[in-house]
Amino acid sequence: MSEQKKTFVVTRFDPDKDQAPRQQTYEVPVQPDWKVLDALNYIKDEIDGSLSHRWSCRMAVCGSCGMMVDGKPSLTCKDALSDYGDKVEIAPLANFPIVRDLVVELEGFLEKLKSVKPYILRAKERALEEGTHRQSPEQLEEFKQFSYCINCMLCYSACPVVANEPEFIGPAAIALGHRYNMDSRDEGQHERNEIFRGEGTVFSCSYANECSEVCPKHVDPAAAVNQAKFNAVIDWLTGFVTTRGGK
Amino acid sequence: MARPVNPHAMTPSRPGRTRTAPPQAPSGWYTQPRMLKYLLFDATGIVYLLVGFVALRVVWALGSGDAAWAELLRQLQNPLYIAFHVLALVSVVFVAVRFFSLFPKSQPAHIGPAKPPPQPLILAGLYAAWIGVTLVVTAVLAGWVL
Repeated sequence: MSEQKKTFVVTRFDPDKDQAPRQQTYEVPVQPDWKVLDALNYIKDEIDGSLSHRWSCRMAVCGSCGMMVDGKPSLTCKDALSDYGDKVEIAPLANFPIVRDLVVELEGFLEKLKSVKPYILRAKERALEEGTHRQSPEQLEEFKQFSYCINCMLCYSACPVVANEPEFIGPAAIALGHRYNMDSRDEGQHERNEIFRGEGTVFSCSYANECSEVCPKHVDPAAAVNQAKFNAVIDWLTGFVTTRGGK
Repeated sequence: MARPVNPHAMTPSRPGRTRTAPPQAPSGWYTQPRMLKYLLFDATGIVYLLVGFVALRVVWALGSGDAAWAELLRQLQNPLYIAFHVLALVSVVFVAVRFFSLFPKSQPAHIGPAKPPPQPLILAGLYAAWIGVTLVVTAVLAGWVL
């Protein structure tokens, strides 16, 4: 296969030496079938072993190789290098603290994710002898799309609200909370809707729709967030005609 | 290089053991077409604020007698006013089209047992309602009805 050279301008940050992130340029002989991640791995293996970046599955499943490529959030194992020009700028995911080079701090996201209880909540556990929870294809269809999230964090990097409101729990966390709210086996809707009515949650979303534009798995977090707004309001109104009293 | 965003964006409640660099905005975000479109959408808020001031001016003129009203009508024929109202119209169309394109997918999967109609049908309904309301308002303002 023919070889072409591309220039990569990569953000570097060493917490032990650098006061602020800086940029370093690499010339890389690339192959026509390479993904962006292939070029980063080439730099790491052949040019500069000190470069740090996250990756694992190389097939858009693990969600670890999200980065900014030419200023746009990208899953680098999925995006073809041929879609970019001769000079490619690679930076860590926007809106996240930078741990080192292209590696970002994800603890803040994990805290936000935990806050929406992204798991099945039951008032009473089903006894084993009662058998499995049955779910029809129609019931599955209501949340299937939202369960495709791979936590790649591209949506957080694209979201203008995340950039300006640190308390906003963000698209992926809300989409996953909504996914469980729509699951027929779940009984935690009211609990989550109370969380969704709180500060920095669904009503902080200005529906820029950027999260859905960049989502590599077509989860459409913007749809989830805005459906969750509706459900949170209905849940609040329902409280006035039930024993919950508007809670 | 990118510019910093809110330094607390996506930071954990307790700092980690490693020193981190503050979060950055995407480089050149303001030149990206999608971001520009969103900025324009946000900027329409300024146009609506100014439309609000013009509306207040109209109400004030209405309550100040015939002379004030005639003077306002004369001022509204100024090319600057006309240009501003063309801008307001473009802003409204821009926001409406954007809203219509996003509205169908934000519908809940169901309300009780009822499911919302298919998304293309919702979209068609929105445009039909928009055209209908526009025709009714035009008919009233033009004196065709009432």
